[in-house]
Amino acid sequence: MSVPEFAVFIPIIPMVAFGLILILGQLAGDSKWWRGPFKEGGSIAVISLAACLILTVIVGLDVTKNDHGGEPTHIIEWLRTDEMSQASDGTWSVHEAPAISFGIQLDHTSLMLLFVATFLCFLISWFSLGYMNSDSINEGRLHRFYAEFVLFASGMFGMVLADSFLWLFIFWEIMGLCSYLLIGFYFDRPSAAAAAKKAFLTTRVGDVFLLVGLLILYGIYGSLDFAVIFADPSLGGLIDVNLLRTAMILLFVGAVGKSAQFPLHVWLPDAMEGPTPVSALIHAATMVNAGLYLVARMYPFFDVAHGGVEGISDVGLIIAWIGAITAVMAALLAFVQMDLKRVLAYSTMSQLAYIFLGLGVSLWAINRGHEALAALAIGSALFHLFNHAMAKGMLFMASGSVIHEMHHAHHEIEHHSDGNGHFDAQSMENMGGLASRMPVTSLAMAIGSASIIGLPLIGGFWSKEGIIGSVWRAVIEDGGFALLVPAILAILTAAMTGFYMTRMWAMTFLGEPRTDVAKGVHEQTPWIRMPLVVLSIVSLLGIALFALGSEEWITHGLVSSHESGSHGGAGDRILHAFTGDGLYTAGVTWVTIILATFFGPIWALRIHGGALDSGQKASFPIRWLPGFSSGLPPYDPTHLATSSFADALRRRLYFDEVYDALIRKFVVGCAAICAIFDRRAVDGVVKQVESKSIAASHWIRKFTTGSARDYIAMASIGIISIFIIIGGST
Amino acid sequence: MIPPIWVATLGAALFGIGLYGAITRRNAIIVLMCVEVILNAVNLNFVAATQVHGNVDGWVLAIFAIAIAAAEVAIGLAIFLALYAQHETINLDEVVTLNG
Repeated sequence: MSVPEFAVFIPIIPMVAFGLILILGQLAGDSKWWRGPFKEGGSIAVISLAACLILTVIVGLDVTKNDHGGEPTHIIEWLRTDEMSQASDGTWSVHEAPAISFGIQLDHTSLMLLFVATFLCFLISWFSLGYMNSDSINEGRLHRFYAEFVLFASGMFGMVLADSFLWLFIFWEIMGLCSYLLIGFYFDRPSAAAAAKKAFLTTRVGDVFLLVGLLILYGIYGSLDFAVIFADPSLGGLIDVNLLRTAMILLFVGAVGKSAQFPLHVWLPDAMEGPTPVSALIHAATMVNAGLYLVARMYPFFDVAHGGVEGISDVGLIIAWIGAITAVMAALLAFVQMDLKRVLAYSTMSQLAYIFLGLGVSLWAINRGHEALAALAIGSALFHLFNHAMAKGMLFMASGSVIHEMHHAHHEIEHHSDGNGHFDAQSMENMGGLASRMPVTSLAMAIGSASIIGLPLIGGFWSKEGIIGSVWRAVIEDGGFALLVPAILAILTAAMTGFYMTRMWAMTFLGEPRTDVAKGVHEQTPWIRMPLVVLSIVSLLGIALFALGSEEWITHGLVSSHESGSHGGAGDRILHAFTGDGLYTAGVTWVTIILATFFGPIWALRIHGGALDSGQKASFPIRWLPGFSSGLPPYDPTHLATSSFADALRRRLYFDEVYDALIRKFVVGCAAICAIFDRRAVDGVVKQVESKSIAASHWIRKFTTGSARDYIAMASIGIISIFIIIGGST
Repeated sequence: MIPPIWVATLGAALFGIGLYGAITRRNAIIVLMCVEVILNAVNLNFVAATQVHGNVDGWVLAIFAIAIAAAEVAIGLAIFLALYAQHETINLDEVVTLNG
């Protein structure tokens, strides 16, 4: 077995851990050793995910060193069938038919995503030990949490490694199931149960489209293996372009559902009902990236220069438009959220939309022959996926840390006084002034927010500039006027990101504590800080990754041309990010920097900033922020906050209402018609069969008199009839 | 020599009489006797067949049938005894426990 083939264990290990945790948890749920050293399965989860991470690193180093990525490796073959066919001269021949097999596809793109998934899954499981195990309400059911957690991880690893669309879909569905189970972990709470159902059904809409798309692909190519399909996507020019375009759009709809893009985005904010590690797992590390990965995998279909199909660039346009619309819409919705985790949820939607925008531009460009632009766009998009996953995973864990300590403080206060009823530990209105009370968390969250905002030199900056730059290049240089609106929206969203992320940070950490609970907060739970520190360092390392050319590394094997990307050494590369290729690219970059770094954050600080209460100091790198923000002229947004538009935003732009009404009108209407059909036709047939056979048997009963003489007569009549029939026929 | 067709005709007539009796009579013993008549009608047919074919197969079968008929009568009468013990009647119209 060669080193890359060991990668097959990466999905298998968590799968085994899943069974182990579930069975042990059921058998030994109350024993001391299970609650103690095993942490109700948490230890098993952490160890198995650590093993996956180590395996990923080993495999990744081997693939990078020997450069044998891109070739799919068949590991297990199922149902290898032979097919017989008759040639025109009448002879029969046997040839291999498409088989169902499982293999792994290792190229740099899947390695990058695999690393993101294993690394974050490991850190989040570590974080869960602190977050979940220190809460008494979770006792006795945590084995369910950890079992679902590792099964989810297994689904993600398997999806990334799959060498065919079939396996990709299978693991995709495993993730869908686990996301349902994890969001509804507190299923005894009606809102959590409803959120889980909503997430499941909404993604199911996308999944149905995806399945139909895959069936069309199977119809076209006769196989779902990447190796078979991407060997010659255009079938030597004979392909039905319209059919393929339909399939591509259907695949994209599947990705839209999974990655929570407009118009299937409604499930993501509600998914915050799950425990915070689940939010981090679903919204950063794994599930939402699945859709992006699927779209990135579609790249060879569009690569005209290397056997791709001509004339499907409009699919790229659709993807870019959906991305741009979602980006700006989610950013708007994030403006008015008071729930800490919901701000992050909308921010996730918005950032994923950026990545879709980049992917869409890339697909559009490669289909029109602009190879350099396509390579830049897809490289930036996938690099943004990496940066966003790291930053957002950390932000969710940091928000979890805040929420956890708020809960703790609330419990302590309640001990001393009478319970003051309901307390929302997630609402930012109850926070404030936490910067000094939670030094590690506040600093980590500042770095994560900076990465999401795109503060120069930090993680997300490099990739976001690349995406916005490539969109504008498509508009100006390569004649993509259809992309003008997405390009403007992309810059607008950058400014809005600066606003809502700063607003979130300032409302949580700046100013004086707004409640007594916030005054009593301390950073005390073990296990929680390590992942925050590690991910802060990764986010800060963005500059090094960029300088080393990670954008090109990620797309190696997927993209053939890298002419534009190579700008010599690391210094040149970094300089080039600021100067651009010409006046307008530099202009776009600087407009974005100014809007995202200064305009948005400073407005947010004017509204929500403020000095800490006296005697309190934030941790060293951000010590200047409270003073700086209190020095800004304050701005009262009351008239904006009470406007009807803000009200519409608070009600999530009426999407839920509209969907509710649509479902009530159309779906319920159709269901009523179906119900009538079911009652009248389906049930009717069954009931008619029943009543008629009862009537028939009543009639037949008359003949079973019980009298021997009657039976003799019947037998005689029967025999005589047979004789007559036989005699008559001869 | 009686022509075989007459023998066969007699057999058919006896068969009809036996069948009629088996269907119409209520007394179980008379029904059994009618069944015997049917059997012997068949025996007559066998004898007639022997004449036609010129070998002894029909006779052998006839003797077989007579032997089996004797056994059948014994079993039949035993059943009627048991029937009488249960129902105190051997009137077939009164023994209709299988009525649906």
